[in-house]
Amino acid sequence: MLVRIGLLTDGGYPYATGESRLWCDRLVRGLAQHEFDVYALSRSAQQEGNGWIQLPPSVLRVRTAPLWSAQGDGRAYGRRERRRFVGHFEELITAVRTPDEGAAEGGGGDRARHTAAFAEGLYGLAELARDHGGLATALRSETAVRILESACHAPGARRGVRGATVPDYLVFADQLERALRPLSLDWYDDEGLGAVDLCHATTGGSAALAGLLAKRFFGTPLLVTEYGVQLRAHYLAAGSGGDAPLRAPVRALLAAFQGRLAAEVYRQAAVITPGNTHARRWQERCGADRAKLRTVYPGMETERFAALGEREAGGDSGDPRTLVWVGRIEPAKDLISLLHAFADIRKEEPEARLRIIGAAAQGAEATAYLAHCRALAAQLFPDEAADAHAVGDNCVSFEEVGGPGAPELVDAYAAGGVIVLSSIVEGFPVSLVEAMFCGRATVSTDVGAVVEVIGGTGLVVPPRNPRALADACVALLRDPRRRERLGAAARARALELFTVEQNVAAFHGIYLELISHAPVRRPAETVDAHGEPLPFANPAEAYVPGHWTAGRAGTVTAPTPGPVPGPVPMVPPVSMPRPPTVPVPVPVAMSSTARPRASRPAEAVGAVAGPTRGESDV
Amino acid sequence: MSDTGTTSPGTTRPARRAGGPADPVKTLMHSHRELCERAVDPLEIAAGLEAHGVTDRAAARFRHRDVFSLAEELYARVPRATDSGPDTTVAAAPHPSRAGDPRAGWALRTLLPGAVCAAALLALRYAGGTGAGIRLAIGAAGAVALAVALTIALRRGPLRVEGHTARVSRLWVCWLLAYTLYGDGLPRVLHAGTGDGRPATTPLTDAATPLVALAFAVAPAAWCAHLLSVQARRRLTDSRGLAEFASRTRPVLLALFALYAGALTALALLAELVLGGRPGSGHLAATVALGSLLLLARLLTVHGFPKAAATGLVTACAVEAVALALAAAGRVPGLESAAVPVRALADAGGAGAVPALACGAAALGLLIHAAVTLSRASAHT
Repeated sequence: MLVRIGLLTDGGYPYATGESRLWCDRLVRGLAQHEFDVYALSRSAQQEGNGWIQLPPSVLRVRTAPLWSAQGDGRAYGRRERRRFVGHFEELITAVRTPDEGAAEGGGGDRARHTAAFAEGLYGLAELARDHGGLATALRSETAVRILESACHAPGARRGVRGATVPDYLVFADQLERALRPLSLDWYDDEGLGAVDLCHATTGGSAALAGLLAKRFFGTPLLVTEYGVQLRAHYLAAGSGGDAPLRAPVRALLAAFQGRLAAEVYRQAAVITPGNTHARRWQERCGADRAKLRTVYPGMETERFAALGEREAGGDSGDPRTLVWVGRIEPAKDLISLLHAFADIRKEEPEARLRIIGAAAQGAEATAYLAHCRALAAQLFPDEAADAHAVGDNCVSFEEVGGPGAPELVDAYAAGGVIVLSSIVEGFPVSLVEAMFCGRATVSTDVGAVVEVIGGTGLVVPPRNPRALADACVALLRDPRRRERLGAAARARALELFTVEQNVAAFHGIYLELISHAPVRRPAETVDAHGEPLPFANPAEAYVPGHWTAGRAGTVTAPTPGPVPGPVPMVPPVSMPRPPTVPVPVPVAMSSTARPRASRPAEAVGAVAGPTRGESDV
Repeated sequence: MSDTGTTSPGTTRPARRAGGPADPVKTLMHSHRELCERAVDPLEIAAGLEAHGVTDRAAARFRHRDVFSLAEELYARVPRATDSGPDTTVAAAPHPSRAGDPRAGWALRTLLPGAVCAAALLALRYAGGTGAGIRLAIGAAGAVALAVALTIALRRGPLRVEGHTARVSRLWVCWLLAYTLYGDGLPRVLHAGTGDGRPATTPLTDAATPLVALAFAVAPAAWCAHLLSVQARRRLTDSRGLAEFASRTRPVLLALFALYAGALTALALLAELVLGGRPGSGHLAATVALGSLLLLARLLTVHGFPKAAATGLVTACAVEAVALALAAAGRVPGLESAAVPVRALADAGGAGAVPALACGAAALGLLIHAAVTLSRASAHT
């Protein structure tokens, strides 16, 4: 079945310098039987200047819009339009500045109410922008600034925003105008997003905002994929401050706006696919319905590691005395801790060697850190020689991928018997997955998505604990059979969960389910030339009552409402009754391979969270 | 793995906290004090803690279910700077000051148009005896040089306009300047039929004197715009509300405008004294009115109101054009009465009365508009 997919990206695909472009490229090439319309928001002039990557023929067209340049058409509103603007903007701002009472547990109702008010204001502004344009000018106008002022000083405002002063209103109005630029785009017509069958937003935030409007205007179902949660990224970016640190009231308002936007995106999305459990937890925290969440792990190329991983079965498990660390050398990787751990390992295993193989250091901080690590290694481990006449060598070596020791990345993994990961901060640990593909035994620290990725096929120790790291490494170095067993299990796990194929297959299944259960209803396509209804114009699944991700069929007792006419027929899925105790929901009609894979990691993580700390070594 | 004992969470207890205070969260709060103090909601603390390597398992050591609930406790317990007093961060204006650019020698550049204009005029004077072709060439070269100098002077500094919003207005400005140069033809049009013995027209070298004054007036105009920007910025940061900002900015705007008008009057008088100008008191008023109109239009354009500025300029142009048309119509037999108001005006105030009235009225309108719009905070972003 041919599906026309609107792929919404923000600073990513198809730009050559975009984030997540590799993933999108693999998705588009992997699902070449479908049509893709790419709607891309660009982040900077430099990004636009660098051009696009080569697009496959399944991408029918690409529409881009810059988010970084002001595009006010200078059009001022007349009286009626201004009244509309004031009404919607007040609604939006009031929802933003009012906190959810008791957000910890019982704030669900409060949040839902405020999210609904926020959404009303947002869609009102979007409709105004579609009808009359001029939203950018209006958002920076004195009218908007006055509304901001009165909203910040009204009773019931959030704690942080009460101290706002005149510059804060102006800065926030400016930031809000940037955030709402997707509302003013010309994508929302019958040739644009109205023509696609489903919208796939590759991030939250701005890209998903365009998807929200498509859903609002045309009833297009929305699929949101987040490998990193946009709201969390916003907090981290705002926290570091950058070149112009924002004041607390502005940050409070912006954070509240992003939070409300995320909640509305999660509310309207038909399916949300976090990239790992960490993202999933954040999404649940921001109000995502658990029934809509399906973890889809990012896929990675396996061909490079296939030769090594398969040879592994024969018994070549690398140099049994060598530990290898692979990654980009930076402070978050905590190589200091690794070196201290290695000092402990040397006390137990004097023959052990450590090879630190990193990508070339970039930036002053990374260079300084590398020099620091080298100095520490030289202090801890003096050069050693076999006898009085031989030239000595150090047991810790710093190398680069592409150097003589490791011409290719796979050689780096092949060099060692045990791969070590010592990070204190980690998102999705790519080097760990690569080690798993290579069939190597690993010792890693419990950060980010490590436990979820390794899932009992390697050893996991607490971060910043060199002693525990050393003990785990020594245990593996002394036990070749265990290394082999763990390596084989890791490779099997990686091949099942982290291949490109599983990623593409998961999205393929989700696409098909989405358009069968929640199709765009175009009244013109459901009748023939004489106005008679066409049979099978809508898929049969579309008439199943209740939200289709919401759980077992037996839990929905409401009578069949039948198809709802009108341009926005979708019932907001969050309003459907749903049993609260469905930990891993099973869809009504499960036909694709996506579900078993998507649900597995949750179980796996649950298993390794036990006291044995990540090893199912039987 | 259980034989080593170090990797199970039950036995992992960091040495720092083993003998520490009874309240482990307090230690954490201390080590992340800055993060907790500047956080605007619990999720920001949660994101920051995760970035520092605090996981759910670490949160379990603080007797919390996950990082989120740990962050909520931290958020509730840490006193924030915004609660106890004013934010210590300086409330910076949204955008850096226009004049703050250190490499912009805009103050010097604003003298360029005046210098070019004076040089062109002097060249024309000295070439007085030569042929008309050479004079024409000098005049054309002077006009081009003046246009270039104006572009250079206005491209940077406080009178810079972002985007291309000022492009339409250029036409109207050219018309107004051309009228200043050639507007003396109006009396000739008016009185040609009556056989009056007035001089046919003033030479171009004399008529260009107000142009020199206007060209030099770019410098005070830029300074006034700069001072307005600086003062508005200062009031932005220390005003308590939008209304207070407006009431404090409006007097500054009016005072700066008066300053500019005074400077322009002085320049016009000086130019007349040094270069010699046309007789008639109307010319001085016309010059000052035109200069004021141009400054206000530019200020409005700079601060994001190009339409209002264009409206003011168009009004002045239209009034002048109507005056010319009426004067021309008066020469048609039977329509003599059409030229009566123009003639009365020109007789009372000289040839400069018409542009003075046109530009003065338009400038007054723009001044009223500017007093309202430029005292808004949103105009100073």
